[in-house]
Amino acid sequence: MKIKEIMVKDITSLSPEMNALDAWNVLQKMKISGLPVIDDENKLVGMFTEKEILVKILPSYMEAVGKFVYDENPKAVKQRVLLLAKMRVREVMRENVITVNEDTALCEVAHVMLTQKARRTPVLNEKQEISGIVSRGDVLKALFKEYKE
Amino acid sequence: MRNLPIKFVLLILISTALGFFSHFNLGLNTHQALSIAIFSVSILGTLFFWSFRLSFAFLGTAILMMTKTIDLEHLVRFASLEVILFLVGMMIIIGLLKDEGFFAWIVSLILRMRNLSAKKFVLSVTIISALLACAVDEVTSIIFMVAAILEICDYFEVDPLPYIIISVLATNIGSAATVLGNPIGILIASKAGLTFEDFILKAFPVAMVCLVAVIFLIMFWYRKSFKKLDLHIKELGGNDILIKLISVPVEKKLKISLLIFGLTLLIISLHHRLELLWNLELNTVLLVMPLVSSGGIMIWKKHKAREYVEQDVEWWTLLFFLLLFAQAGTLKYTGATDVLAQKIIGLTGSNPHILSGAILWISAIGSSLLDNVVLVAAFIPIIQGFQALQVNLEPLWWALLFGGCFGGNITVVGSTANIVALGILEKEKKIHISFFRWFWVGLTVGLITTCLAWAILVFLPFHR
Repeated sequence: MKIKEIMVKDITSLSPEMNALDAWNVLQKMKISGLPVIDDENKLVGMFTEKEILVKILPSYMEAVGKFVYDENPKAVKQRVLLLAKMRVREVMRENVITVNEDTALCEVAHVMLTQKARRTPVLNEKQEISGIVSRGDVLKALFKEYKE
Repeated sequence: MRNLPIKFVLLILISTALGFFSHFNLGLNTHQALSIAIFSVSILGTLFFWSFRLSFAFLGTAILMMTKTIDLEHLVRFASLEVILFLVGMMIIIGLLKDEGFFAWIVSLILRMRNLSAKKFVLSVTIISALLACAVDEVTSIIFMVAAILEICDYFEVDPLPYIIISVLATNIGSAATVLGNPIGILIASKAGLTFEDFILKAFPVAMVCLVAVIFLIMFWYRKSFKKLDLHIKELGGNDILIKLISVPVEKKLKISLLIFGLTLLIISLHHRLELLWNLELNTVLLVMPLVSSGGIMIWKKHKAREYVEQDVEWWTLLFFLLLFAQAGTLKYTGATDVLAQKIIGLTGSNPHILSGAILWISAIGSSLLDNVVLVAAFIPIIQGFQALQVNLEPLWWALLFGGCFGGNITVVGSTANIVALGILEKEKKIHISFFRWFWVGLTVGLITTCLAWAILVFLPFHR
């Protein structure tokens, strides 16, 4: 089975120039943790996810400092949350996105998702435009369906 | 990326010119000239193509082997495996300390400072930066110093840049105080036969004198920033929230980690005495102790041992050092550095004051532009070459150490601590520091500390 047979073709995407807070509201409304970011030429330019928002909000150096517990919220976090309303999607999104082609086999997509730790993967057509998206759940459902049949 | 071809052509031209110059003008033979040309490729590679430095080191080493400039046996001998293993061991110990919250605990102690004032904050930042740099290493210590500074400056809504610069300046000075502060410390100790005691008696006081001078200078230089911080402290009424911002549970594991680290430091500080007691070769205990501690850590934390080795050890950097040391050793193996040493003596005479002054200033200026390890690796075989010319080497080793560490303060790219600290600042605050904003304060501090070190080397008989 190829991924184009199971991918979700009706894609909701975000524009890189969209306000980051508005984009997060879209995620909340859709009850989804991330969406692809597509430019005017329908080219995939990044992924906007809840994880990237958290990365922007929390200080990056804290991981390097080592084990500790936050007992209060740092002032910087408040400032960054407020700053998010002034930021564009392109400033928050992850640019390095793992993608697959329409003719990629189902197991290869599962392989890519597992090794690259991707929760969802955009699918590109021959013109390298985004033509669909698959999540881990879609892949699992398709695998179970194929084996039952 | 646009300048890549130009830089590449420049690198090849300079290296080839150096090779030809040393062959035709200095009278070096083909192998000696080739070793100089290839070593200069490695040096210039770090300057022009920082992210490709390991590739240059790999290719350069391969050329040295293929052209029979050095054989495998000597390449391995000159790779200074003892220094690499020491650094591996220390990185594993630091990995454990980080994992158990030691550095976060230090950050929390800084945040919990009572009756905070600008003066108290600056003094604490300067002293803690310097002391931690000499106890762990400059790159590790600067990360959590920057973390503490950013939290405090965010809280009081002041520009963190002056405090970050102050911390970096103190870190670079402190890194000269012991063998643990900077990779060049252990490299010089290993090659010169200097002990931890020598560093405590001769390098530590010099670093502390320089630190005091720098504290006075920055108190004047950044007086307006300090006034602003004092004003904001008064307005916001102390650091009550900062005091309870983060906590690190002092668990048994943290206590054991501190015990291991404390014991390692204690035995390293007593290594020379123990070597005399047990009739061991000089610096055996110094070089072996981090291996003993990290070996114990990997038994204790058996499930995390791989993580410590794979993630906390900077293999990329260490492999570069290994090949760099081997290439620098080639200069000695071919006799190129002996010829250079004779030429230098011919120019300066064997007066130790002039020689140590020349090494101090060349290494200070050089390390303001280059990685100080590259520079020190290049200088070591030259200084060793002076031995045959009946020159007292000790002041030269100290000159190399002080120049290599203090010169790092001069420019924004002078040391890894500068790059790491300003990288965090840029990522967190979008503050990009221009070359000249750093340069004036860096140059002043670099000049003052190098002059002080020079005066101490010349006038105090202790270092002779």
